[in-house]
Amino acid sequence: MKVLSADVVVVGAGGAGSYAALRLKQLGLDPILVTKGLVGKSGCSIFAGNLVLSGRMLGTTEEQSRDTLEYFAKYWNNFLIDQHYLVKAGKWIEESFYPELDEAGLYFRRNDQGDIVASVGRVRNIAANKQGQSGMLLMDRRRKQIEQLDVRKLEETTVTALLTDKEGRVVGIVGLQYPDGEIIAIQAQAVVLATGHSDRLAKRSTGTREQSADGIALAYRVGAELANLEIQWWHTSDFAYPKTWDRMHVYPNPLVGSTETARMYNSDGEIFFEQKTTAPVALAPYATQFKKLAEQVMKGKARFDGGAYTSYSHIAPEVIEDYNYHAKVFDKMGLDVATDDVETAVSWHCRQGGINVDPHTMRTSVPGLYVAGGVGSHSNGGIGVVTFDAYVVAGSVASDVRPGEVPPLLPAEQVEVEHDRLEGLLHPMPANGCTPVHIKNLIRELMWDKMGFVKSEENMQSALQEVREIRDRLIPVMGLKNTTRQYNYGWIDAIDAYNMLDVAELTILSSLNRKESRGPFFRPEYPYTDNTNWHGKNILYRDSAGENRFRIEMFDTPFLKPDFDRRDYFEVDW
Amino acid sequence: MEFAQEHASRLGQSQTGDSQRARRESLREGDVVRVRIFRFDPTHDKQPRYDTFTVPYTRLMRVLDVLNYISEDLEEDLAYRWFCGVKKCGTCAVRVNGREVLACWEAAEPEMTIEPLRHAAVVRDLVIDRTAYEQLVVAMMPWLERAEPYAGFPERISHREMEQAATALDCLSCLACFSACPVLDLGNETNFAGPAPLVQLAQVALDPRDGMDRGQLAMDVAGIFNCVSCYKCEEVCPASIPVVSRVIEPLKARAYQSGKSGSHHASVFTRIIEKRGYTDPTELVMRTQGPRVLRGVRRALRLWVRGKINPLRTFFGRPNPAIAAIRCVFNQTERAS
Repeated sequence: MKVLSADVVVVGAGGAGSYAALRLKQLGLDPILVTKGLVGKSGCSIFAGNLVLSGRMLGTTEEQSRDTLEYFAKYWNNFLIDQHYLVKAGKWIEESFYPELDEAGLYFRRNDQGDIVASVGRVRNIAANKQGQSGMLLMDRRRKQIEQLDVRKLEETTVTALLTDKEGRVVGIVGLQYPDGEIIAIQAQAVVLATGHSDRLAKRSTGTREQSADGIALAYRVGAELANLEIQWWHTSDFAYPKTWDRMHVYPNPLVGSTETARMYNSDGEIFFEQKTTAPVALAPYATQFKKLAEQVMKGKARFDGGAYTSYSHIAPEVIEDYNYHAKVFDKMGLDVATDDVETAVSWHCRQGGINVDPHTMRTSVPGLYVAGGVGSHSNGGIGVVTFDAYVVAGSVASDVRPGEVPPLLPAEQVEVEHDRLEGLLHPMPANGCTPVHIKNLIRELMWDKMGFVKSEENMQSALQEVREIRDRLIPVMGLKNTTRQYNYGWIDAIDAYNMLDVAELTILSSLNRKESRGPFFRPEYPYTDNTNWHGKNILYRDSAGENRFRIEMFDTPFLKPDFDRRDYFEVDW
Repeated sequence: MEFAQEHASRLGQSQTGDSQRARRESLREGDVVRVRIFRFDPTHDKQPRYDTFTVPYTRLMRVLDVLNYISEDLEEDLAYRWFCGVKKCGTCAVRVNGREVLACWEAAEPEMTIEPLRHAAVVRDLVIDRTAYEQLVVAMMPWLERAEPYAGFPERISHREMEQAATALDCLSCLACFSACPVLDLGNETNFAGPAPLVQLAQVALDPRDGMDRGQLAMDVAGIFNCVSCYKCEEVCPASIPVVSRVIEPLKARAYQSGKSGSHHASVFTRIIEKRGYTDPTELVMRTQGPRVLRGVRRALRLWVRGKINPLRTFFGRPNPAIAAIRCVFNQTERAS
C-alpha cells in the first residue's frame, strides 16, 4: 500500500475540483487532486453546454441582470438556495470567472467584428467555441493549467473512504488506483469533496460512467449532514436511442446565434414546449419543460422514455451547424437537422441537494471536510457557480491549514479496516452468487421504475424494500468473475454498489420526508408546492444513537420571495 | 472465425449520414452482432487471445452499446475505457475491423473485430496507457504564452482570426489518429510525436494571441518533418479535423520559418526544385540521409528496376525547359517573404 502526504486532498476533478486544486496551489498550499476518471475528461462538467452571463456583463441590462437572479433562484433552484450566496457568486462570475478563463485562452465564440456572441432573451449565455462544447473546452483548459502549475494528480483512482481522528476530524483518505490495482492512503490536513451533482443512479441518466454518488456516501459515513437529496432534476429532451446516447441533449435553452429555441412535439405533432414562449426567464428550463412533458404523458400523448420529439427544424440550419456542437449528431443518425425532429426521452440529470454545507465557507458539519460544487446541498450547480465554490473553499482551507505542516498521523486501524475491505471485494463470485454490475443494474432499474417523476408513497416504500433486499440477499453473495488487479472495473463496480445502495436509500428516505411537490419533485399524495412549511432544507442527520433523523431549516428571502404560500403543483410555472 | 474484409472498403465513409442510412438498413432489431474482442492481461497472460460474443442488435446501436451489453448484460469482465458516451470525453476509441473509431460514435456493424489502439501499451483488453501521449502534450507547452499582456475582458479578437485554431479545438484527444499514423510504426527511429500532439500544439500555435515560437517546438520536440502527409489521421478523425491541411501544413510552414536549418528535408526539397524545375527523389534521399544512404543500396536497386527512381536522370538529366520561369517564381517569393 502506498502512503502519500499532502496539505489538502481534492476529490473529484470537474469544474469545481480542478479549480479548487489550482487555486490552493496558487495560495501556496500543496494539494493533491484525486479523480476516479481523467482530469478534463470525466465528470459532468464536460457536459456544460453554455455559460450563463451574470451582473451587467457584455451589455446585459439592469432588467436582464434581475431576470438572471430570478432564473437562478426560482427556476434553477426552486428557491432552495441562500440568496446572499447567489448574489456573491454572480458578482464573482462577472468579475473573476470570465476574465480568468479569457486570459488563460479559453475561446468564447466571437463574431467577425471581434465581439463575443451571446444569446438573446431575458437571460443571456455564451459558448466556448460552440454550444455543447463549452464544458469540454473549459475542462481541457483546466487540465492544461494543472499541468502548467504542476499540481499533483492521481487519475483513475477512486476514493473509497474518508479517515477521521479521535475527535471525528477528517485527516485523509483511502483510495484504489485501478489501472494497476494499488491501494493508496493520503494523509492531509483537509479534504475537499468535489464529486459532482450528477450520478448514474437510474437506468437513463446523464451522469458519466464513473459517477455513482461516492461523495455523498463517503460524507454520510463520517457523519456529515445531507440536505434536499430528494430534489432530483431531469433532462427532458435527450436522445431516446441508441442507449449510450441517453445523455445526448437537444438544447431547449436559448441558442447562441439565434432568436429561436428548440420545439418539443407530442405524438400528435402538437408543440407543447418552446422555451422562448413557454418559460422565457428559465434559461435552463428543465423543471418547466419536465412539467409540460408530464402533462402530455398524463394525456397519453408522450412517454417519459420516448414518444415525444424535439426539433431545430424551424431554425436556419447554418446557424445550428455554425454554433451547435450537437448538429453533427443528427447527421450521424441519418437525420437532417434542417427538416427532421428526433425522438427524445427523459434522463436523470442532477441533484439539487447533497452534502449540507455553509455556502459562505464551504465547510460541512464535519471538521476537516469541505465541499465544492454540485455535491453540496447549497445549489443546483452550473459551471460558473461551482467554480465560485472552488474559489471560496480554497480560501477557507487556506485559512484553516498551514502550508507544509506535517498532517495528522493516519488512523492505522481505520486504514487497515478499509484496506481489508477493499481486498475482500476482490474475491471470486461464489456459486449462485452475483456480479457487482448485476447489482448496479438492479439499483438503476428500481430507481428508474419507482423513483421516477411520480413518487407515490407506495412506489417509494416498495423501492426502499427492494434496496434493503438487495443489501441483505445479494451483497453477501457478490463476487467477481476475474480477480486480476489490472484495470478491473468489476472491482470498482463492487465498491460502487455499496455507495449506490446507501445513496439510493438515503434519497428515498429524504423523498418520503418532504411532504409537498416542488420543481421536478412530485408526490401525488401532496400535489402542491408549500412555501409555508417546505421552503427550506430537508436535512438528514444522525442522532447520537446513529439513527437517521430529519429537521427543516427555512430559507430567508432577502431579494426574491415566492409569490404564494401554497399552490397546486401544476399551477406553478417553476 | 473469419470476418468479412469488405468493411475496410467503407473507409472514410462513416462521417456521412448516407452511410448511416445504409447501415441502419443493413441491421434491424432482432438481428445479431457478432463480435470478436482482443483480450490481454499483461500481468497474467503470455499472449493475447480473441473472445467471441453474440449481441442482439438494438436501434441505432453504437459500438459502445455492444461493449456495454457484453459488460453489463453478459456480465463479462471486459476492460474498456469510457466516460461520457456522447463524443465529449474522447476516451473510448478502439479499432473496429482494423479502423480507428470512437466506440460511442460509430455504428455497430454485423461482424466486428474490436482491438485496442496501437502505439501505446495495453493496460488490459481494450484499455491503453495514455501516459506517453500526455507527456508529449505537456512537452508542447499547450498553454497560451501571450505576446502582449492581457488587456482585460473581453479581449477583442475576431472569429476569422481564430478560425484556424478553432478547428483544432475540436480535438477530443481520443488518439485515433495516433494509432493510425504509419510513421509511428517506426518507433524510436524518428522523433515524430504523431498527429494528436501536433493538433494540441496547433490549438495554441495558430491562436493569434500566442507569442511563443511554436515552429521551433514543432521541429525539435515533435519532429514534424517526419510527417509524410499520408492523410491517415484525417481519415480516422472522429471530429473530422483536416489534420494535414489545417494543422500539420500550417505548423510545417511555421517550423520552416523558425529554423530553416532544422527543416533540412523541406529546404533540400525546395533547393532541388529551384535547381532542376522538378523533384528528384534520389537526390533528395542522398542529400538528406548523407552516408546512411549506402545502407539502402539494395532497396534503391529494386526501386530503380521498378522505375520508381532514375539515378541516370539525377546525375545527367537536364533542368526543366521552363527553369527560368520557375527560378523567377522563387525570386519573387523570396523577395515577398
